[in-house]
Amino acid sequence: MSTTAVVEITSLTKRYGEVVAIDDISFSLPAGSITGFLGPNGAGKTTTLRILLGLADADSGTAIVGGRRYRDLDEPARWVGAVLESNDFHPGRSGRDHLRVIVAAAGIDPRRVDEVLDLVGLSDAHHRPVKTYSLGMRQRLGLAAALLGEPRVLVLDEPTNGLDPSGTHWLRRVLRAFADDGGTVLVSSHQLAEVAQSVDHVIVIGRGRVLADAPLAELAGSRGTLEDAYLDLTAGVGS
Amino acid sequence: MSPALRSELLKLRTTRTTVGTLAAMAGVVLLAMALHSLGLPKDKLVSTADQRKVFLDVGSNMGMAFAALLGAMAVTIEVRYGTIRPTLLATPRRSRVVVSKMWTALGVGLLCGSIAAGVATSAGTLFLRVRGLDVDVSGGQYFELVVGGALAGALWATIGLGVGAIVRSQVPAVVGLFVWILFVENVLIAGVPSVGKYSPGALGRALAGQQVDAVASWPAALLALVTVAGAAVCAALAATTTRDFT
Repeated sequence: MSTTAVVEITSLTKRYGEVVAIDDISFSLPAGSITGFLGPNGAGKTTTLRILLGLADADSGTAIVGGRRYRDLDEPARWVGAVLESNDFHPGRSGRDHLRVIVAAAGIDPRRVDEVLDLVGLSDAHHRPVKTYSLGMRQRLGLAAALLGEPRVLVLDEPTNGLDPSGTHWLRRVLRAFADDGGTVLVSSHQLAEVAQSVDHVIVIGRGRVLADAPLAELAGSRGTLEDAYLDLTAGVGS
Repeated sequence: MSPALRSELLKLRTTRTTVGTLAAMAGVVLLAMALHSLGLPKDKLVSTADQRKVFLDVGSNMGMAFAALLGAMAVTIEVRYGTIRPTLLATPRRSRVVVSKMWTALGVGLLCGSIAAGVATSAGTLFLRVRGLDVDVSGGQYFELVVGGALAGALWATIGLGVGAIVRSQVPAVVGLFVWILFVENVLIAGVPSVGKYSPGALGRALAGQQVDAVASWPAALLALVTVAGAAVCAALAATTTRDFT
């Protein structure tokens, strides 16, 4: 694992009216690692990810990828691939056409469409409208879209939702191979057992603040299991 | 062609929404022309002015309304289905997305306005002849109806884009646009003609050749409607670049 930070979040704060969604959050993600991003519902995980990806503006602080704000990246798809929702598709558009639309916008080689469809196991269903896909197939299509630009960073929000055990195992292998090749992965999840099997590092947030930022072994080891550590840290800051 | 524009054009071609909406519009225009041409008393359809008014009322109004609908849906469908997120991840400089949507809206609106005017004039002419009426609309007037209708459709599509970008939610945006075009403007024109003749719908009809509610001249109507459409695009840019997408 490299110690060079690819993603740097510094003193990030976001308010919605009187509600403080995230409050002075700072953390960084080194290359070649998988980081679990944990916290109760409403802790600020999704808000943090959306600010990182330029979909929302912070009130203060910075979120940097490769030294620049996401919106200022010249080739964002080559830096970050992201899956924020499992259902960000037009239901009448085929899986292949969904990818073609992204390829066209991001200036990616169109041949990548077939490559990622094959990688995620959707080659046989590429022509079907997305409305006929199962939740697991939609997760795979989302991941295919994220991988189109051969990015250095993957940002995934609840990527195992809807995946069966073999799909979850497959995803774990894909993410590990990605990190072993020097990629950086940030995975937001509530599935602690799965996180415990797949990540190197854990960040726990609650009520918009970082409660823990430590290697998995250190965090889990200090309290027995990751679940025990998580429940201790988030006691009283639940949804 | 920019990558964002290429992507927007691909979006139009990879669902049935655009073609389906254009087909629905053609059907509505056809039905409305049948009702007007076959249903109105003959004495209200004898003069050239009356015949042009029927062609224009149906063709131009429907062309503008459906063009605005498609313009608004360029944003509201993306918000509704969440595809706005992949769109903005691929093109994070949001102004590029809005400008690309403006170009596609202009193109789709042009198509919409010309189809509506074309169906209205051709079907209307056929229905009137079936009733045994002479149709005295000249070639130049047909040309003005179709070309003016196409221009009005293009500019109204960008107005729809602006409304869609501000409202974001599909049903309120679409209902608001239809209520404005089909009801509010008519009330305004009837109640306060000096103001109503500058409303965007009246300006669009002026482009298609309507005289009674038009501003002083065709170029003035074009300039005024381009100004309104430009303001709508600026509003779309402001709404898209300054607000969060959650």
